Amino acid sequence: MKLPLIIILSGVATLVLAQAADEGLPSGDELKFFESKIRPVLVESCYQCHSTDEKIRGGLNLDTREGIRHGGDSGPAVTPGDLKNSLLWTAINWAESDYEMPPKRKLPASVIADFRQWIEMGAPDPRVADKVIVKTDIDIEAGKQFWSFKKPASQQPPAVKDRQWPVSDVDRFVLAKLEASGLDPAPDAQPGTLLRRLYFDLTGLPPSIEDLERYAKAWKKDPDKAYEAEVDRLLSSERYGERWGRHWLDVARYAESTGKEVNMAFPQAWRYRDYVINSFNADKPYDEFIREQIAGDLLPIKDDNDWQENLIATGFLAIGPKGLNERSPRQFAYDLADEQVDTTTQAILGLTVSCARCHDHKSDPIPTADYYSLAGIFLSTKTYFGTVNVIQNRRGTKLLELPVPDRNPVSSLSMREQEILQKRMVDSENRFSQLEVEAAQDRAAGRSTNAGQQLQRLRSVISQINARLKGFDEDGNAKTFAMGVQDQSRPFEPTVLLRGEIEKPAQKVERGFPRVLCDEPVALPENSSGRLELARWLASRENPLTARVMVNRIWGKLFGSSIVTSENNFGSTGKAPSHPELLDYLAVKFMDKNWSIKSLLRQLVLTRTYRMSSEFHSAAFKKDPENSLQWRHTPKKIDAEALRDSMLLASGKLDLQRPVGSEIARRGDGRLGVPRSPRGASAENGELNYRSVYLPAARDNLPEALALFDPADPNLVTGKREETNVPDQALYLMNNPFVIQQAEAMARRLMTEADTHRERFSKAFLLCYARPATNEEIEATKAFMQNFLIAAGTDSQNRDKVNNLAFVSFCQSLLISAEFRYLN
Amino acid sequence: MLTRRDLLKSTSSGVGYLAFAALAHEQALAESKAGGPLAPKKPHFKPRAKRVIFLSMRGAPSHVDTFDYKPQLAKDNGKAGRSGRGRKLLGSPWEFSQHGKSGLWISELLPEIASHADELCLLKGMHTDLPNHPQAQTIMHTGNSQFVRPSIGAWTLYGLGTNNADLPGFVALGAPPGSANHFGSAFLPAIYQGARFGSDARGLGGRFSRRDAQPKIPNIANPKLDRNLQRVQLDFVQRLNKTKLEREKFAPGVEGVIESLELGFRMQDTLPELMDTSGESRKTLELYGIGAGGNDTFGRQCLLARRFAEAGVRFIELSHGNWDHHRNMATDLPARCGEIDKPISGLLTDLKERGMLEDTLVVWAGEFGRTPHGQGGDGRDHNNKGYTTWMAGGGVKGGFEYGASDEHGYEAVDGRMHIHDWHATILHLLGLDHEKLTYRHAGRDFRLTDVHGNVAREILS
Repeated sequence: MKLPLIIILSGVATLVLAQAADEGLPSGDELKFFESKIRPVLVESCYQCHSTDEKIRGGLNLDTREGIRHGGDSGPAVTPGDLKNSLLWTAINWAESDYEMPPKRKLPASVIADFRQWIEMGAPDPRVADKVIVKTDIDIEAGKQFWSFKKPASQQPPAVKDRQWPVSDVDRFVLAKLEASGLDPAPDAQPGTLLRRLYFDLTGLPPSIEDLERYAKAWKKDPDKAYEAEVDRLLSSERYGERWGRHWLDVARYAESTGKEVNMAFPQAWRYRDYVINSFNADKPYDEFIREQIAGDLLPIKDDNDWQENLIATGFLAIGPKGLNERSPRQFAYDLADEQVDTTTQAILGLTVSCARCHDHKSDPIPTADYYSLAGIFLSTKTYFGTVNVIQNRRGTKLLELPVPDRNPVSSLSMREQEILQKRMVDSENRFSQLEVEAAQDRAAGRSTNAGQQLQRLRSVISQINARLKGFDEDGNAKTFAMGVQDQSRPFEPTVLLRGEIEKPAQKVERGFPRVLCDEPVALPENSSGRLELARWLASRENPLTARVMVNRIWGKLFGSSIVTSENNFGSTGKAPSHPELLDYLAVKFMDKNWSIKSLLRQLVLTRTYRMSSEFHSAAFKKDPENSLQWRHTPKKIDAEALRDSMLLASGKLDLQRPVGSEIARRGDGRLGVPRSPRGASAENGELNYRSVYLPAARDNLPEALALFDPADPNLVTGKREETNVPDQALYLMNNPFVIQQAEAMARRLMTEADTHRERFSKAFLLCYARPATNEEIEATKAFMQNFLIAAGTDSQNRDKVNNLAFVSFCQSLLISAEFRYLN
Repeated sequence: MLTRRDLLKSTSSGVGYLAFAALAHEQALAESKAGGPLAPKKPHFKPRAKRVIFLSMRGAPSHVDTFDYKPQLAKDNGKAGRSGRGRKLLGSPWEFSQHGKSGLWISELLPEIASHADELCLLKGMHTDLPNHPQAQTIMHTGNSQFVRPSIGAWTLYGLGTNNADLPGFVALGAPPGSANHFGSAFLPAIYQGARFGSDARGLGGRFSRRDAQPKIPNIANPKLDRNLQRVQLDFVQRLNKTKLEREKFAPGVEGVIESLELGFRMQDTLPELMDTSGESRKTLELYGIGAGGNDTFGRQCLLARRFAEAGVRFIELSHGNWDHHRNMATDLPARCGEIDKPISGLLTDLKERGMLEDTLVVWAGEFGRTPHGQGGDGRDHNNKGYTTWMAGGGVKGGFEYGASDEHGYEAVDGRMHIHDWHATILHLLGLDHEKLTYRHAGRDFRLTDVHGNVAREILS
């Protein structure tokens, strides 16, 4: 087995392990030494900026033994007996230029010598504060009684009055509720309507004219068989993974940059995107999918390819938003772990465990101690997310080097380019040294210059060249890297932090899982993070939430609203399930069928419930306006990706090849441009015609074609997307060059594919609505063409041009109409 | 012919008017402009304000460092706070002084706004339900943090319509991504939702970061069709849409498409003019601090707010972020205050000079306040039990303070004003009775204030 090589791209995020503080009190001599030589100096020279009663600069509190050993943002100030790992020692010696303490005047040599002696003798310190213990009023056993914290139980489908209607158990659950409310299910949907719904739901694309014809033919012979064949056909299409992978990417807050204050690119994030899409296409069991994303690096493997895939999967933990200008490494480490806790628990468990970071969870039985137990697992994990070290990026890390090289690398570096870069590197380094000397001279002479700024800029240039060079071996072959995680060399011992403040450690806790979800307390191994155990527990039948949360998400995508409408919150402030028995039934079935998502989808789309018409019924509407009982199929609006993709499909320009990497990867490391990146813009100009899931996905900088139509905000775990109908969408549809280009291409296509206008009109409706035009629509189209020509004031010279413009406008009309954008 | 209002009266489900009106496009246009859902409607009683400019400070600014002067907190600096162990009171590091004839106490962080002390009505007894940003933001905007409900802007538009059907009646400037429900219409018709401009995640993003006075508005004109031909095209699109709507009887989404297309079409003419600030005098720009570096972005938003207000937009919301000062308060709070001080002061001056302040209600608020005790020595934690917001203009007493928090600023003790009361008061100033402004949905009448809310009559001028 090959271990992943780790290369250094920039500064290393280290995590400081808290020292065990249980030791005896100092002896008499030790005490005397401390009181006469050390305490007075601390009080006189340090407390002003580093004590509880004054300030706590840099998170460093020097007025207790705990504080001095725990240290501040950069690590422990004093490690007993270990000068090298005592930042206080470095600081009082003025050994590093930006680290000189006390800042105004260096301490006398004799005092510094006292500190050496004190640290070497074990830093005896009587200033033991009362141990802070964060207590909780939460009764966890009582909390376990809440419905979602109990394991889903097998359910028998209920008896129903109308025995004819149901074709599956799911239908019986739905029908029983409808009957109890005095409601009837809607009639079956028209075959064409149903097919369009199915195509969009499973692949995010409409059926083509050939699909429609094939289906119509088969339908005449045997409707059920025809439909089933289409279901199987779609589930085995590559388009399926692109659609359902995207749904998971919403949940996984997938993006290709850090977002926040300094928006740095993640040029390797696309590997995780492809991993997700491939996993859906391969129908990877959901439990395995979860295990790989949480602890792929720790799972047993067969070969390098397996290893590669598992490492990429852990990108789930690395692709979150990050505030890279955070000054304190410790604060950053806690924030990173918090983001991982938040995403993992919302995405997989439908719980907001992060709410318990500063105080007990306000509504769910999750004490702060449980939060730190779980965070301890992630604090025992190193996250490799890369990002190049430029001005304002203080927190970049290495990346994981992968064992298998790319067959088609995203970028290459010729020998010539390599030489040029190396030369630039040498020049920059020389210039750097020269500047350093000049700066020192200027300082000595008391001249003020901008050398500091210049040095910083040069440092950025050097690290950017460095990053590029390190991406290739001597022969110019691209090395492959991924974002992901590894265990720390030894596990972190978590303490509760009072109100979440890093300088206020309270009692120690064991690493573990939220207790309300566990029958037995877990014991994690002492020599590893516990992430593997977490992954196995999350993806097990023992966990009451994982299967429920996933089947609920899937139901929501197919039926327009979920059984539990608060998809990321199954806690007590979430919503109660509309069909609790059905939810459990589906969860248990899902696990029984080896957590197969395709099987679940197949089961659901074959129900009669899914195949209902979306017909409106005012009496039913009065009783159940949200349609939470499923008296009809809820009409759905197609999302941003499906809208763009189906315009490209109608124009015949959709490129179904998966692009290698992504635009962000091609652009490489660095800070994303402000304002909007030109790459985002090129997606609008018709240069990128592949499916929307592959468009560049920088945080706070999504391409306009997606950004306007309520995409998932990658700063958050997204279940159900927002839906708006606002005029900036209308303006885009009416006027944006991308839309007009698709209309033009569609017009050209129809001109060659059909001979008469009448045929072209029909075909256009089929392409856009997946149904033939009505006579009235054909008449309306003819009238439109005529009105357009009249309004254009045509004369014989430009007649062809105007005719063409009218036809293009007709095509655009269909692309921007409501029927194109809604599913019945 | 039936209008939407007639239908709303005659049908309990709020089935859209368009479904019943197979109209030729001229009529449709006339209706959507004149009698449609955006048409001006009579308020319940004589309004004191015709429009609202809501300055939303996201992240919750500290009240005890800005508008709630607490001398006792300064005296007790370093003593244990009332919320228990280890929490030490932190007196404001900033000086307060009295301003204007009224002598309101305002912190040195906001000198320009303080110069308008005699216009301000400080609401010092505010409190809200939860000390968490998302919930508190949502309740501040919709009156409910648990369910998706219409926002106050949508309610206002529903209640009053707008005086300019060629612009959205509810506009949100600089809204952050992921906040759609703060501007949403929920079960109210889609046309009442806020149109968002100048937020990063959307296509019109980055507009306000540009220095030029004629910002490029994306997708504002069709490169191939003149307006006349585009109208012919749009008529065809709407015919298709209306056929769909008739077929389906009830389809709020389709109605939303129809209305947003019409509004978008009209905005092609109105928006460029509105966004073009090149005609504004140098003096005006200076008033808002535009061209003065850090204030530019928010200054431009404030200027646009005035222009939208002038153009007849009913509800204008401006977002300003990063007020969550758990740490680094000593540097970050002055920085945030510096960003808003001049622009807001400029807005107040400008409105006043144009005679608009008397019928424009300006509201300044965060989602809650911050603790009188410190956090990590240089920050404050969330505090929902007591905080301060203010109003100015349209019908409120200037140079007035209403309500109070305790001696340290933990809890509202006098003139207590919950978000529901605050909403009821805002609606009252607009001439709307919060108990009568209802919408029937799912078999019952909904209100912004649910079953709560008292108008703070004490603050009415």
